[in-house]
Amino acid sequence: MLREIQQVLRLIMLLGKQKPQHGLNTERGLLVLLWTETGASVQSLNCTVAAAGPWSTGIKMEALQPVLTDLKESMFPCMWSSPQPDPEELCAFTDLYGSLRLLLSFQINIHLKFKLNQQTFQRDLRVKVKSTVALANQPSRILDVTCSTQPPECVKKGCWCQGGHPVVGGMVPLSIPPKAMDQGLFGELSIQPVTLLSPCVLQYPNLATQLTHIKVLVFGPSNVPVAGPSTFFQNLPAHLDCQELGLHGLHCSSFKDHVHSSGMVYTVEQEPCKDPEQESSLLPMQQSLRLYLFLQHSDPFNCHLSDLMATEVLIEHYLEDILNNNRQSVTKALQTELQNTLKAQNRRKKDQEKLRSAAEVILSSSISVVSCSSNVDFRTACLNSMKVRDTHDLSASLRESLRRVTSWKFTPRDRCHSAQMEEHPESDVATRREI
Amino acid sequence: MMGSCEAGLFTEIDKLRAELVNNVEVMPGCQRDEEEITYREILSRIENVILGIVTSLSKDENPVLALPNRSSWANVSFDSAIGLQMNSGSSVTSIRSDSPSSVRKFGQILKIFLVIYKLVQSNSYATKRDIYYNNTQLFGSQKTVDNIVDDISCMLKVPRRSLHVMATSKGLISGDLCYLEEDGTRIDCRSGSAAVAVSSNIGGIRNIVSSAKFVMIVEKDATFQRLLDDDFCAKLSPCIIITGKGVPDVNSRLMVRKLWDTLHIPIFALVDADPHGIEIMCIYKYGSVAMSFEAHNLTVPSVMWLGLLPSDLQRLRVPEDALIPLTKRDENKLSSLLKRPYLTSQPDWQKEMELMRQTQVKAEIQSLAAIAPDFLTNIYLPNKLRYGGWV
Repeated sequence: MLREIQQVLRLIMLLGKQKPQHGLNTERGLLVLLWTETGASVQSLNCTVAAAGPWSTGIKMEALQPVLTDLKESMFPCMWSSPQPDPEELCAFTDLYGSLRLLLSFQINIHLKFKLNQQTFQRDLRVKVKSTVALANQPSRILDVTCSTQPPECVKKGCWCQGGHPVVGGMVPLSIPPKAMDQGLFGELSIQPVTLLSPCVLQYPNLATQLTHIKVLVFGPSNVPVAGPSTFFQNLPAHLDCQELGLHGLHCSSFKDHVHSSGMVYTVEQEPCKDPEQESSLLPMQQSLRLYLFLQHSDPFNCHLSDLMATEVLIEHYLEDILNNNRQSVTKALQTELQNTLKAQNRRKKDQEKLRSAAEVILSSSISVVSCSSNVDFRTACLNSMKVRDTHDLSASLRESLRRVTSWKFTPRDRCHSAQMEEHPESDVATRREI
Repeated sequence: MMGSCEAGLFTEIDKLRAELVNNVEVMPGCQRDEEEITYREILSRIENVILGIVTSLSKDENPVLALPNRSSWANVSFDSAIGLQMNSGSSVTSIRSDSPSSVRKFGQILKIFLVIYKLVQSNSYATKRDIYYNNTQLFGSQKTVDNIVDDISCMLKVPRRSLHVMATSKGLISGDLCYLEEDGTRIDCRSGSAAVAVSSNIGGIRNIVSSAKFVMIVEKDATFQRLLDDDFCAKLSPCIIITGKGVPDVNSRLMVRKLWDTLHIPIFALVDADPHGIEIMCIYKYGSVAMSFEAHNLTVPSVMWLGLLPSDLQRLRVPEDALIPLTKRDENKLSSLLKRPYLTSQPDWQKEMELMRQTQVKAEIQSLAAIAPDFLTNIYLPNKLRYGGWV
C-alpha cells in the first residue's frame, strides 16, 4: 500500500513542481483515506488519495490519463476495481480546501492489525513549525521542524524553542552505476544532506545535552520519502569515524522500534558516567539528530511527466547500487555533516566541564569561609538565606542552586520558535496539513 | 675620593631639598587609614562578598563579582599632589559564574579570597608565589595569581600587604641607609660593593637611619651594578641608590615612597633617554593605571629627572654610533606619553620629549661610555648633581 500511495504522492508533487507556485503560503490539502466497507473482508482495504486547493489548479485529469494508465499497468489490476468513498467523508476536506482536483481510489490486500478500541481513530498530521530550506539548484523546500519534546517544568512560558534549525550541507555529485544506466537512468544525480537537531536548546547554552539517536531519511527528487537502502545504511556506522565525531559508537536500532519510519535509525552509544554523584544530579537533555538526504536529478532529455515518474522509480530501485558506487564521497559528506553538527555539541561538553570544575572551587571556597568564620551574624545570614540549619545542608543547597541557575541560563534568540508560538498558539497560519 | 670633601657638591641639592620640604603636602590621613583597617574589617569585607554570592543563589540568580577596571585610563584622574588615582565611580568588569569564559576566573578569585581569609585570621603570611604553587592547576600561571591579588586589593580597598600576601622583591638598594625589619633584623646598606635586596615587608620597616643627601632611582640593573663597581655611593656620599630592575614592583615603589616620607630628601631618576625609560620614571613619580587605587602609598610626585636627558646627548656630543633611531613603537609610546594628563604640569619634560621626537634618536645610559669609560660616575653624574642639571 505504501508503494502505491508513494507513487500517487510522487505524481502530485511533480505536478505541483511543474506548476509555478505563487508564494509558499498557499493553503493546500492532501487527503489519504483508508476505509473498509461494512461486512467486507478485513483483508480488503480501500484507499483514496485526493488533492484540493489552489496549488493543484492546473491538474487536468485528461492529461493524467496516460500516467494513470501506466500506474495501473504497473500494479495488480485488482487494485484498481475499487468502490468510491462516501462523499460525506470528503466534505470536511473540501470545506477546508475547496473542490477536489484529484481523486484516485484503489483497493489493496493487506495484512494489518489495528487496535481501534471500538472507536474511529483519526489522525491529522499537522506541521506546527516549519522552516524553509534553500537547496542548491533547487526551489526551496519546506521542512517540518516541529519538536514534540515538552519543555521541563522549570522552563518559563515562551522560553522554549518548539522547532529546530536545519543546516544545509554541501551537495555531493553521484555517479550513476552502469547497471542503472542500462535501465535508462541518465543525467546528473546528486545528494544534499540537511541536518536537524531536536529539541533546540540554543537558548540554554549551559544545558548539558546527550545525543541519543540519529535518524537518516532519504527523499527522492520529487520530495517523496523513499525507502533507504538498508545495507548501505546498516553498514554506515562501520565506515564513520566515531572518534572524530566524539561518539562512542553507533548501532542500528531494531526495525520493530521504528515501524513507521521510512529511514534508518541509529542509537548512539553513551559514555559510561565516571562520577555516580554527577549522574544523579545532572540529567542531560536528550537530543536526536535527523539527517535528511535529498536526492536531486536533472536530465534535459527527461521532461515528460511519465519519464520523471519512471526516473524516480529507477532511482529508488537502484539507490543501493548508486550509494555503494559512491560510498567514499557519500560517507565523507555524511561524516562532515555529522561533524559540523556535533562540533557544537562537543564544545558544549567542554564548556560543561569548565562550569562543573569551577563550580566545585566556588562552592568549596565559599563553604570554607562560612565554616571557619567566627562571625555569628555572617554565618546566620548565610544559613537563613538558604533556609538551612547547618553548613552541611548549606553546602548541598548551594550546590543544587548553582547547578540549577547555571544550567538553565536563558539567552533568548530571535531565530528560535518560542515567542511567536506563544503569541499565536491556535493560529492556522503557522500550521498546515502536510504529509 | 670622598664626595663629602667637596662642600659645593650638594649646594644645589640642599636648595632643592629646602624647596621640596616647603612644598610638601602632608597627608597624615593616608597612614592612619591603613592602620585603621583592622584584621576584623578585612575579614568582614571578605564575608560580605561571600554573603553576596549566597544571597544571589538564594534568589535563584547567578552570582556575579564586580571588579574595578584597573586597566582603563577612563577610570583614573590626575592630582598633582598624588599622581594617578582611581576615580570613585570607576567602571567595573563583571565576572559571571554562568559563563564558561569567566567561570574559571570566578573560581580563582574565590579561592584566593579563601587563602587570604585564612592568612588574616591566623595572622600568618604567604607570598604570591606560595599561593600559586599550592594550586598550579587551578591558576595556570603566576601572573594570574598576581593580577587577582591586586584585583582583590582594589575591590576590598585594602593594601596588598594588609591581606597578608607578600611579594618577593625584585629591587636592590645600596648607600647610606640602615633600618630594622619587622622581625628585628638589622639591615645595613652601606657595603660599597654589594647591594641589599629591597625588603618584602616595607610596612614593617622601622628605625630608618640615614644622612643621605639624595636618593637616586636607577632604571636598569646593569647601570646600578656599574655604579656599584665604580663605588658611586662613596664618591657621592652620602647618598642612596635603588633600582627596580626595569618596571618596578610594588615593594620597590613602596621603598622609594618610604624613603621620601622618612627623609624628605630629593629623589632623582637616572633612566635611559628613550620612551621606555621615561615611562618607568613616570611610574615612580605618578604611579600606574593598574595600581592607581593605591596611589597615595606608592607615588612620589617630587621625583626629578636627572638623566639621561635628550638634551644631554646634544650637549655632550655623544658619538652618533652610540645613538639608536627611534622605532615605530618608540614613536607611538612617545606620543602616548605626551598625551598623559600629568605631563601638562611638566613643561621641561615635555620639551625634552619633543626634542627626542625631533631628533628621532634615543640612547642608553651606557652610551656615555663612548665618551669615556668612567664618564658616567666620574664626570656626568657629579656635574649634574653639582650644577642642578635636573628637570
